[in-house]
Formats: sequence, C-alpha cells, structure tokens
Amino acid sequence: MKNGPLFFLGLFSALGISWAGLVIGINTQLGGLSPYFDEAQEAAFPARIPGIAEQGLRVYRDLGCASCHTQQVRRPGFGADQARGWGERQSVARDYIYQSQPQLGTMRIGPDLANYGTRAEEAGRTPAAVLADLYNGHAGMPAYRFLFAQRKLDGEPSAKALVGGAPAGYELVPTARAEALVAYLLSLKQSYDLPEAMPYEPADSTKEAAQ
Amino acid sequence: MTTALPTKVQPGADENEQACGGPLLLLIGSGLLWLVLGSALALLNLIQIYTPAFLADCAWFTYGRLQAMQETALLYGWAGNAGLAVALWVLSRLGGAPLRGTNYIVAGGLFWNLGVTLALVGIAAGDAAGHAAFQLPRYVQPLLLFSFAAIAVPGVLAWTGRRNASTYAGQWYAVAALFLFPWFFSVASVMLTFAPVRGTLQAVIATWYAQNLFSLWLAPVALAAVYYLLPKLTGRVIPNYDFAVYGFWSLLFFGCWLGGRHLIGAPVPAWVSTMAIANAWVVLFHHIIVFFNVRDLFRSGSGTVMRFLAVGTGAYLLSAVVDTAFSARALAVVTQFTYFQQAQGQLALGAVALILTGSIYYMTPRLAGGVWPSVGLIRGHFLAFAIGFVLLVASLAVAGWIQGSALNDPAVSFAQISERTKVWLQLATAAQAMLLAAHAVFALHFAKFIVGQMAKCCAARPLLAAEVTVS
Repeated sequence: MKNGPLFFLGLFSALGISWAGLVIGINTQLGGLSPYFDEAQEAAFPARIPGIAEQGLRVYRDLGCASCHTQQVRRPGFGADQARGWGERQSVARDYIYQSQPQLGTMRIGPDLANYGTRAEEAGRTPAAVLADLYNGHAGMPAYRFLFAQRKLDGEPSAKALVGGAPAGYELVPTARAEALVAYLLSLKQSYDLPEAMPYEPADSTKEAAQ
Repeated sequence: MTTALPTKVQPGADENEQACGGPLLLLIGSGLLWLVLGSALALLNLIQIYTPAFLADCAWFTYGRLQAMQETALLYGWAGNAGLAVALWVLSRLGGAPLRGTNYIVAGGLFWNLGVTLALVGIAAGDAAGHAAFQLPRYVQPLLLFSFAAIAVPGVLAWTGRRNASTYAGQWYAVAALFLFPWFFSVASVMLTFAPVRGTLQAVIATWYAQNLFSLWLAPVALAAVYYLLPKLTGRVIPNYDFAVYGFWSLLFFGCWLGGRHLIGAPVPAWVSTMAIANAWVVLFHHIIVFFNVRDLFRSGSGTVMRFLAVGTGAYLLSAVVDTAFSARALAVVTQFTYFQQAQGQLALGAVALILTGSIYYMTPRLAGGVWPSVGLIRGHFLAFAIGFVLLVASLAVAGWIQGSALNDPAVSFAQISERTKVWLQLATAAQAMLLAAHAVFALHFAKFIVGQMAKCCAARPLLAAEVTVS
C-alpha cells in the first residue's frame, strides 16, 4: 500500500459505512415512533414519565444499577423471561421513546426490571415497602443505606420515616434521591399492548387446508 | 556501581530509539499504574458479587460504580496509555526516523492521565455516562479527545515522514488505530452525551462504540506490535505476507458491525443482531489470515517476549472463535446477560494486555538503555499472568454457563443461582488476585529499571541499547 490518500479513504469508509448503516437504518425505522393510541382503553401508550421518575433514572444510572439488572423482556420462547413473570410480552423500541436514557442493561445478576412497576402494583407494594427493601438489601443485593439520612427528631416524626433502624430520639428518612429512585422503579411498566409486540401466531393451517 | 559501567558507548547503538524514550516511557509508566489500580478495583468488584455487603455502605464504591471505575481504569488508563506508546513506537521504528514532536506526547499524556483520573473520581461521585465501555463523565470526554489527538500527532508525522513510500502491516494497523479512535469516540460522545439520540438507538450506538473500541483500537494496536516484533524476534520474514492486507481490511470493514451481538432479543430492530452474527463469521477471515501470518509465534523454544505474544495472539484468535460461536442465538439464549459474557470480554482484553505487556518488555530496554534488572521476575510475571488469565476466563465462563442455564429454568430462584455460582466466582477472585500480584510485580520491576537507568544517567554517560535494526 503506497497510496496514502486511498488508504485514508479506506479507513474513512470502513467506519463510515457501519455508522451510516446502523444510525440511518435504525433512524428510518424507529425515528418516527409515536405513542400508540389504544382505542379500547382510550389512552395512549407508553405513558409520559413523571419528572421525579426522570430524576430517579439518573440515580439509577449513577449507581450503576444496570450492571446487575436488565430492563428488556425477551420474546416468549427465547429464554424464560415470561415464565419468571418479568413481562407478558417482549419489550419493543416504542416502550422506551419517552426515556431519556433507556437502561437496557447487560447483566442479570438480579431480576429484570422492565415491568417492576407492574409487579409492585399487582403485589400491592407501597413506595415505603420498596424503600425498606433498598435500605435493608438482601442476600443477593447490597443495601443502599447511603440513600437514607438519620436525623434528630424535632417535634412530629416525618410521615416518610422508616420504621425501626434509628435509635431513640432519631428518625430515618429517605433522601430525595431515594424517593426519586423509587418513583422511577414504580414507573417501569410495559403492561399495555402494542401491535408490534403481539406474539406471532402462525396462520391456522387446518383451516386453510379445508378451504 | 559506576565502576561496572563500560567507558564507551556500545557499537550499533540506535539513536532513533533513545530520542523518543522519555515521552513513551511516561505513557508506559502511567499505563502500568492504571493497570495495578484497575486490577485492584476489579478484585474488590468480584468480591462484591458474592458478598453484597462488602463496601456497600460507601457510596463511592457501590458495585455499579466500582465496576464502571475498574473498566475505565483498565480500558482508558492502562490500554489507552500503553496502546498509544506501542502504536507510536511501531510507527517510529517502521518509519525509519525518530519521533518528531514528542512534546505533544508529554503534554497530551499528562492531560490524558488527568482526564482518566477525573473520570474515575467523577464516576465514584455519580457522574458516569452509563454505557458499557463508555462510562466517562461528560466533562472528561472532550479532554480525552483532545489529549488523544495531541499524543497521536507524532504518529501522524512518523507516517507522513516515513523513509519508504511503501508501508508495512504494522504501520497500517497502528495508523488505523490512531486515526479511527478520535473519530468513533467523538461520534459516541455527541450521540450519547451531548446530543443524545432517541430511545433504544442509544443502546445500538453504545454497542457500536464498545465494539469499535476493541476492533478498531485495541486489536489493531496489538496486531501492529505482533506484526512488527515477530520478524524481529525470529529473524524470518512473515509467511504469506501478501495476504496480510486482506486481513487488515476485513477487520476494519466487518469488525465494526459486531456490536449487535449484545442486542440479541433486545428492543431494537432484529437485523442489528443478525448483521452482527453474520459479520462475526466474515471477520473470521481476518483471524485466519492473521493466524497464517504469525504462525511462527507458536513454535517452541523462544524467549519470554515471544511467549507473551504467543499466548496473547492465541487468546485473540480463540476469542474470535468463541465470540462467533456464542453469538448464535441458540447459545446466546443461555450466555446472554451472564458472567459468560464477562469471560468473553476478559478473554479479548487479556489477549491485548498480554501482547502489550510483551511489547513493553521488548521496547523498554531500547527506550531507556540497559537491560531489565531481573530475568526471573519477567518469567515469573509471565507465568502468573498466563495462569491467572486462563483461570479467570475459565471460571467466569463456567459460572456464566451455570447462571445462564439456571436463569432459563424459572423454578430456580436468584438465591439458588448465586449459591451455585459462588464457588466459581471465588475461583475467579483468586485468579484476579493472582493477576493483581503479577501486574504489581511488573510495575515495580519497571519502576526499578527506570530509576536505575536514571541514576546511571546522572552518574555517567547513558548506556545505549545495542541492537542492529534493518527496518
């Protein structure tokens, strides 16, 4: 190889082709995604994310929660995501259009959280219960005690204070970051139906044969 | 000890090498500091997996942040510094002239290391960007980009001012690495941080970037070293050299498509992962050519530098085969989201680290003059590195397979999974501890060498390395 400009043209096109292929290709497919209006429920999905949940997403990102938890349900039949109760259907790109930084994750040391909000709602878990979980941790997950503050009781105890955990005369309260994180976790719901996420059903071959 | 010094400069001393010694040694030395620090953080991080309470009360060292920190220290601190030093050195040697503009290396190197330090502190404080292999806080990204550009300037000068118009394989790989990194880095910086794209397209860009970091930066730097050093060490020409050019272009054109392997089943268009799986097979063409070119490495009876290169290149080739096999959906359904993928990552990065280490053992005496203080320490380092590396990859792979099979069985709870994988993760921890010890020995040996040379330099005329070079 003696031709310098040709060599650099080669380098340029090697990276340029992959970039253009991926970015332009996907942007054409996904760039125009808009919420889906479900006529039966008379609501559009996915729902917009409340501001506090958006703050919680940043806490989730800065603590690196994605290094143990994914937020992507794979299609039925590919892995045991449905059997583990992580979601009825696969996650699709439209589910994430309102998230400033989707936390798809790469590891499953802990369960998938794409539908954490749905599961918590079904189990009747209150934000206080989720906060207690964060404070206690358990065998597989570290406790996040630095998200809580212990402060001196001054008059009436705070309504948000955790039960136990603080010595007499003190109370244990979640920081704003902890509350935002919990609001974010409880906002994670992919329980609505989207047309592109319907499981593929092969045409009924017996019916066709009869015709 | 000054009496033991020879009174005159040894014949055959090559001024090219010493002229650029200091700045490159600065890069290597700081790279080694990051290697030790990164390995230590990786060790703590592994312990945290099966002992969640370990360091959990300290926000700075919570599992997720520590993982981002160790990854950043090793990728940008160690491989960044050492890779730049190796790439520049190969370009200077094959260009046939001393590096020009070495002040750029010093200035750029200082800012690069300042940037990595800031990145680690930033991640610990909660400013991570939140993408695998791209955790750098936003305020660090421009700093790293500009320092990289400064360090690469002498490389560009060595390329444009080369003595021969025709070029060698080592030069292609080194120039490609230096030229492409700033480009895909800035693309990722803009599209992920400063003007983030919408929704899951971010995940595609992030995997594209992470793959490029390996295929277009780490792997080319390592291959540049192998293609340059192999003929030097064996005294033989590279067999089937005519094919090397096809190997080069096939890595560049197809390697950057492989990122989608990590997005199988993810909420992105399915063709992204299909393209990646198909291209993984195409890129094997590159690996086959590299194998035929460098097969002399695998002959027995060679020095320690050769052994580092041989194990490293072997791991590089094996990693391609493993990555290709396990990108198939039938296997990915088990290994996806598990420690097995970490094993794959460690295999690829360890391959590069072994090659960089071998190159540093070869380069340093030629940059600083003199010889390594202890041959035994080099051999010991090789043994500990090789054993620790194999053990780490193997134990993570087994842990990952157990984890993946269990995840696909809904009857197995997460507590049971961590119980089943615990012993393998403990084995991985032992391997990581061994690697940390090996790297610490390496860094101390390097420090002793350099300090000794500096003392000699002050005491008498510097002792130049005796080596006859052809290229």
